[in-house]
Amino acid sequence: MYGNTGEILLVDLSSETLERKKVPEEYYHNYIGGAGLAARLFWDWGDFKAQPVDPGSLLIFMNGPFAGIRLSGCSRGSVAGRSPLTGHWGDSSCGGHFAPELRFAGFDGIVIRGQSHRPCAIVIEPENLRILPADEWWGLGVFETTSRIRAKFGKRAKSLAIGQAGENLVDYACIVNDNHHAFGRAGYGAVMGSKRLKAIIVKSFEQNYHAADPEGLDQLRRSIDLKIRESVTSQVLHENGTAANLEGGVHTGDVPIKNFRSSFWEEMAEALTGSTLSEKYLKNKAACAFCKIACKRVVEINEGPFAIPKGPGPEYETIAAFGSMLGSMDLAATCKAGRLCNDYGMDTITAGSTIAWAMEAFEKSALTLEDTNGLPLKWGDMKTVVDILLPQIAFRNGKLGGLLSLGSHKASLQINKGSGEYLTTSKGLEAPMHDPRGGGHGLALTYSISHRGACHTANPMLFMEMGACYYPEIGFEYELEPMSEENKAESALLAVQLGAIENSSCYCQFADREITIPEWVDLFNFSAGYNWTIENMMSAGLRVFYLQRLLNFRFGLTADDDSISMRLLEPAVDGAPEGVPVEFDSMKKRFYQLARLDEIKGIPDRATLDSLGMSVEASYVWN
Amino acid sequence: MEYWKDQHEPITAFLKLFEKAKEDPELSEGLKKVNQLIWFDYTEDGSDCSFHVDCRNGQVVAKQGKPSEEPDLIMSLSADDAHRSWSNKLNPVMAITRKKIRVKGSATGLLKLAPKLKKVALIYEQALNELNFLDKILK
Repeated sequence: MYGNTGEILLVDLSSETLERKKVPEEYYHNYIGGAGLAARLFWDWGDFKAQPVDPGSLLIFMNGPFAGIRLSGCSRGSVAGRSPLTGHWGDSSCGGHFAPELRFAGFDGIVIRGQSHRPCAIVIEPENLRILPADEWWGLGVFETTSRIRAKFGKRAKSLAIGQAGENLVDYACIVNDNHHAFGRAGYGAVMGSKRLKAIIVKSFEQNYHAADPEGLDQLRRSIDLKIRESVTSQVLHENGTAANLEGGVHTGDVPIKNFRSSFWEEMAEALTGSTLSEKYLKNKAACAFCKIACKRVVEINEGPFAIPKGPGPEYETIAAFGSMLGSMDLAATCKAGRLCNDYGMDTITAGSTIAWAMEAFEKSALTLEDTNGLPLKWGDMKTVVDILLPQIAFRNGKLGGLLSLGSHKASLQINKGSGEYLTTSKGLEAPMHDPRGGGHGLALTYSISHRGACHTANPMLFMEMGACYYPEIGFEYELEPMSEENKAESALLAVQLGAIENSSCYCQFADREITIPEWVDLFNFSAGYNWTIENMMSAGLRVFYLQRLLNFRFGLTADDDSISMRLLEPAVDGAPEGVPVEFDSMKKRFYQLARLDEIKGIPDRATLDSLGMSVEASYVWN
Repeated sequence: MEYWKDQHEPITAFLKLFEKAKEDPELSEGLKKVNQLIWFDYTEDGSDCSFHVDCRNGQVVAKQGKPSEEPDLIMSLSADDAHRSWSNKLNPVMAITRKKIRVKGSATGLLKLAPKLKKVALIYEQALNELNFLDKILK
């Protein structure tokens, strides 16, 4: 096998066994790798009755075929399983250094089941696979855990670790690679915590990648890397990080303010934008493995209430989630909040959004001082967020900490009192910091049809509406007007296929904007030898999209669940999108027709599944 | 060229735009924040078809031609697309994606100007009016 190793590590923490397992070669061709292959393996091996934190749940880490290639943007990996936050199928992507190291160690992925009787860590070294006790790391934050891992296994070892949030089963706990990169969304840190798995450590001896066409791949790799390095996007990201265009986003109405209640705040735009972060707190830039962009920030704040030592800095989502969303324009506070979330191991998007929901609920008396233990929740009060709320959530301390550790959707169901009106979710997942009303109405559609819930990285719709995509080979050569429904369903059908390809090959959405459709096909063929045409590749993307929907159907989701909070649809009250309605229902109806989705079940019809070679899967859902 | 009868017309219009932009307090401040020497290179439409703007050191100076110093940023495009762009009729992100605009150097400063493109378009229309280039105004 080329590119992929063809082997995964199957770990049973209950019986403390580790086993190398071959994956059928056709699975790679049909489901690509990463998120797609994880979905396929769950379909085969998963227990649909097991709750996410039950011992019987599966936690699947999966590489794409490109992990290990010395090319910007292709060092990401996927984690997947039943989400503790949403209760249905989901996945999350992470950059950094773990995925290529896992490939170099001989594995395409790790599938973990069971529950250890004591805190443990999985150690993957070639010819030395083992489960170690990790009692001495239990209770530590991610930074200290990673530091001890490095002390024990050397600096070359790459790790995934959870913090206290994962140990305490916070529903949006994340998994952190080397302190700086996170499988952020949907709560897989809690799954690790439930299995008493504190960390996974991988260390290879040599960096070999066995390409199908080494010469062709090398030539293509150099050419793509040069394009990525020289692109305007890369230069802007390199200089000012992923928040580089926050200021511009405020002016288009893309950046949410005070729980998506406002779409414009000029003073905040300059205070929080990427260039301000560079000027005030940036110490270094950091990169994922082999990436020439280096969009990650290393920051230091020497004084004030939010002083932090030199370390990982916030990216756009964190800055907006702990800035504009909470009615704050204190950039130092976003850095501190982001650092705490990294250390506790919590998703910053859900954490910030859940606190924003709570602030609005408190303002409107759905939450009272009795609920908050006498703590007033006020917009912009970042001292309370940093010093009290985040620690309470991570440790599930008190009534309020316990409530907010559930995420906003379940917290709202718990307190009711009309607090559902303040939600900004789809399928139980909090929307990212891109407001569909200003950022693009197509986002409302793609948030709602995404298998894991409101997500901007499930597919490239955000970039398509922005004008950053041009794919004439598959018919995407037209311009989209962000604040309109025109052509959004048609574009979304392409977007879900492209998104499945991106997330299954585990490619960075910033870097891969420079890759043309023919180059994508060549990458798959030169690396993994899939021998695809454009049509084959797009079909694989569609197959993955459909399989993820079939999984959700088996978890009980239907067409009604392809919905989104009203807050994200109601006309904005200010800024660029003021008064413009989002025609959600008509976009969804059109998308369902184009994607041949059943309007009740929300899954593709039998003939469509048959045409993609999914007849067996169809028999599970259509009999 | 679709909009211009020769290579000098667009430069006259664009220099007028910057002359007027300097008089507007908001745009003037915005330009100063860019803090770069930018060469707008339209030489694909004629060797004299370019101008530069020096926004460094708290000033805004626009002149015809390539700057004598090495620019921080070069924006290369056609004079017609520049006209569409200043008229806010060209999505700059899309134009860059489709290689209609080629950018060399740091575009960070320009991001600060992007939110003000609507206002730039209004002032550009005034500039075209003053130059009696009424037939060039894009509606």
